[in-house]
Amino acid sequence: MKRYDLIVVGAGPSGLSAAVEAAKRGMRVVVFDENEKPGGQLFKQIHKFFGSKEHKARIRGFRIGQQLLKEASDVGVTVILSATVIGMYQDKELVVRIGDEIHHVKGDSILIATGASENMVPFEGWTLPGVIGAGAAQTMINLHGILPGKRVLMLGTGNVGLVVSFQLLQCGCEMAALVDAAPKIGGYGVHASKLARTGVPFYLSHTIKKVEGTDHVTGVTIAQVDSKYQFIPGTEKHFDVDTVCVAVGLSPMSQLLKMAGCKMVDDPKKGGQVPVCDERGQTSIPGVFAAGDVAGIEEASSAMIEGRMAGVAAAEYLGFMEEAACSREEDELTKDLDCLRQGMFAPKNKGKKIDKTEEGIPLSNTLLTKGYLADDEVEAFPGFTHRVGVHPVIECTQNIPCNPCQDVCPKECISIGDNLTALPVVVENAACIDCGMCVASCSGQAIFLVDEDKGDGTAEVTIPYEFLPLPEKGTEGYALGRDGRKLCPATVSRVRTAKAFDSTNLLSMRVPREFAMKARFFKSGNAADAAGEVAG
Amino acid sequence: MNQVNDRSRDIGEFVPRPDDDMVICRCEEVTKGEIRKAVHEGMWTVTEVRRYLRTGMGLCQGQTCGKLVKGIIASELGIPQSELEPATSRVPMRPIEMKVFAKEAKEADGNG
Repeated sequence: MKRYDLIVVGAGPSGLSAAVEAAKRGMRVVVFDENEKPGGQLFKQIHKFFGSKEHKARIRGFRIGQQLLKEASDVGVTVILSATVIGMYQDKELVVRIGDEIHHVKGDSILIATGASENMVPFEGWTLPGVIGAGAAQTMINLHGILPGKRVLMLGTGNVGLVVSFQLLQCGCEMAALVDAAPKIGGYGVHASKLARTGVPFYLSHTIKKVEGTDHVTGVTIAQVDSKYQFIPGTEKHFDVDTVCVAVGLSPMSQLLKMAGCKMVDDPKKGGQVPVCDERGQTSIPGVFAAGDVAGIEEASSAMIEGRMAGVAAAEYLGFMEEAACSREEDELTKDLDCLRQGMFAPKNKGKKIDKTEEGIPLSNTLLTKGYLADDEVEAFPGFTHRVGVHPVIECTQNIPCNPCQDVCPKECISIGDNLTALPVVVENAACIDCGMCVASCSGQAIFLVDEDKGDGTAEVTIPYEFLPLPEKGTEGYALGRDGRKLCPATVSRVRTAKAFDSTNLLSMRVPREFAMKARFFKSGNAADAAGEVAG
Repeated sequence: MNQVNDRSRDIGEFVPRPDDDMVICRCEEVTKGEIRKAVHEGMWTVTEVRRYLRTGMGLCQGQTCGKLVKGIIASELGIPQSELEPATSRVPMRPIEMKVFAKEAKEADGNG
């Protein structure tokens, strides 16, 4: 039987990170993954990540995956793909299917990093072709280049629902609506705003009543629910769609740990059945570790740190490093992880009602229910300032752990401070040079450069733009407000693309002066024809 | 006593509902009504329902319906879901053809 110092099950962000840390310390490591390609969910993540430099913020997920794979191969980690671990037995023995054969392998330590699977919710018609998980839709579009449909309704407004909806838009799908039974949008406000400003409507306190069609989806009816999640008669709304995506949470795929005899606990905050782990990710069986979503649903950024912690812990467990050195490393990693677990969306704040930011500013209620900041709400936030000349306008209004905007500004116009979750502030008297790095680097696409008065009755608004085809300079069209409504005629005055922007283009448009602080998206076409076309 | 273990508890009669014909376990084509009825026929745990109706025993091994079935049983019993143990996890974790399952790879002994 083959024997390894560490066997990792799952080549996702946590599994690969653990393998790298362990191999660096001289351990013989193998990683099994049932998929044809390594990287777990990372290669589906085409958006930029939140966090700070240490968390690889503002880097797109798939690039982080490429980095991790390179690191793993550099330190001699063996990754075996299309290798399905079908069982885990006593004494750390794994049974793996590779090709059409069964292999038995033994690890002196084992890390289970199998991730999670998508939850489903049953409604009339949920088994029709065309009702798919949001993660499945993301796999189709971002890994296989296949559109799941033309017109999509998304159920669920957590970050998965929001991010996948935006990516579907980028692929050319039409988003009919985002629907959630909860009264508030579950994911980051900035992700919701990216959708709302293009005209996608949100229906909170609504859920799917039935999906229509005989052999595939042809439509969907939603209806409002009361505080007990019961349908309110007469509130039905119908949409013609060919696809319904479901993004109602994830469940840890912890079966291997359970069958091996690890102590398990049913923790709704972590998404379901998870192993009981110590702070280093060790389960109740010494030498068996768990990291990433399988130990509790979180994000890829935290999964990578958890993985590294488990890798270091496994090294210490087998004597590849001293306890003191291990403790030092773990302390550092714990600090990184704690940083990420702060703010309004932190695991500890799940289910808590929060009305104000850390700064004491009332949260935008419109953002939580409709996905955009109302014009009168946005003025209260410290990133939203008026001044002469071009300057950043930061519409970041929820405390999330993220600070690339502060890092990238060469003129130190933007300040967040040491507290990663603080709202960005536009520094007084700082001289903006219109470089656009903040606009391109904001993972939430919440920063705009505005010159409120160009001297000819117009203002110039620069927006992040990640759609194709990219409008050319001189293109006539119209500007949309934060709510996605058509505001005024607009002309594209500049389009900037740079390697440092990492595929986020900067589109500048000229709009009448009075719309400088309202125009936040651009669509080409005849402004007059489009009147009233955009749903609110 | 755990409410699941107290089988003398009266959970009332089975009352038909309009969504009873909705399929919950797609692999084995088990409906919501069948699961609810099974509870009234004395199947009070996920494992019992699984053996009685084959919920979660098909191709996906309960990956999709596991939580849904658990929720239906809990609501029929009027208890929180956390009181119900999930189904036992067994080898093989993923569907596998018998001919593969029986084919042990030949390999060099020892630390190769």
